[in-house]
Amino acid sequence: MKLLQLPPAELRRQLAGPGVWLRTGPFSVRVRSHVPHVAEGLTQLYGQFEVRSPHEAFADFHVSVDRPRGLRRWLRPQVNFAVDGVPPFKPLPLDQAFPMLEWGLNWCVSTRAHQYLIIHAGVVEKNGRAAILPAPPGSGKSTLTAALMLSGWRLLSDELTLIDRRTGLVQPLPRPVSLKNQSIDIIRAFSPDAFVNRESRDTVKGTVAHLRPLRDSVRRQHEPARPGWVIFPRWQAGAAARLTPRSKAQTFMFLAENAFNYSHLGADGFRVGSALIDQTACYDFEYGILDEAVAQFERLAAEGSA
Amino acid sequence: MADSIPPRDWLLRVWDDEAVAFDVASGDTHYLRPLTRALFQTCQADPGLDAATIAARTATALGVALSADFLNAVDDGLDSLRRIGLLQAP
Repeated sequence: MKLLQLPPAELRRQLAGPGVWLRTGPFSVRVRSHVPHVAEGLTQLYGQFEVRSPHEAFADFHVSVDRPRGLRRWLRPQVNFAVDGVPPFKPLPLDQAFPMLEWGLNWCVSTRAHQYLIIHAGVVEKNGRAAILPAPPGSGKSTLTAALMLSGWRLLSDELTLIDRRTGLVQPLPRPVSLKNQSIDIIRAFSPDAFVNRESRDTVKGTVAHLRPLRDSVRRQHEPARPGWVIFPRWQAGAAARLTPRSKAQTFMFLAENAFNYSHLGADGFRVGSALIDQTACYDFEYGILDEAVAQFERLAAEGSA
Repeated sequence: MADSIPPRDWLLRVWDDEAVAFDVASGDTHYLRPLTRALFQTCQADPGLDAATIAARTATALGVALSADFLNAVDDGLDSLRRIGLLQAP
């Protein structure tokens, strides 16, 4: 059963009671919340995701997003994210309840799912090959990931690239794409039919909104992909789209430094990371216009499958 | 002064003329730029060479002149290999 098939009243009842059980990629999550923004965000962005009875299904992560108790609740409304009842972060303003759920779920995966090498990078797939997009914040990584998904690439993740330690394949974790600041309007203009939810302002990342993942990406969330490319995007006003080959050893070092659990995995992290680099072409990618960037990626995918 | 390859476990991966090295004991990962990687290769092929011989053989392997600049760069490269533990001074 998909979440969109749950009547709104039943969704709210489950959220306020036993929790809503939903599957995202290889993980199952049980979410509890009394906050209307959370119900709204799940309805708008997770409609295509599988749900089950929370009483019958095992969940990897048991999370909640709720208002803290006490006087503060009435003075300055806030929300807490908690895992197994324990909040790992400080509370945030109530208006940021849904982004907090997203950030919290990222935290759950990045701190616990050590069956994967977890790289901080967007990742999309076409013709069976995955393009991994690591980059520092502000480089346009999420914007490009979103534009590629809206142009026919399969979204594997906008934030967490999961490399299966046994197979070396990229495990999909398609969830709403986090858009920040100018990216929100850029994506709205790029694809007016795309659904972007309400904006949360004044977060630590500025204004944040989430783009709904396309149905095909969610439907194929159990279908891993072979790594094909590691591409470092960099948005530069007025720049022509240009791919430049990049040092594999330096790419490895960047990925190792930007992986959430490389150190934790020890020698196996080195083995998995170096096997990833062995089978990928590494590039720097500068672009100024999203349409040109997408066209460049299409050429790359066509060359790769020729 | 002759250097030796350390007894500790290392994992090394070479791409083109660069490499990355993983120190199993410490968990540290190091990037070896082309010259440093070439110096290590020379030392690996024939452990126990002195610095002057390492420089001469590496210059030959890379097809470069044994200039003062090159010798300075060799000193820096050998220092960095010793610092991370890939070479051990006697």
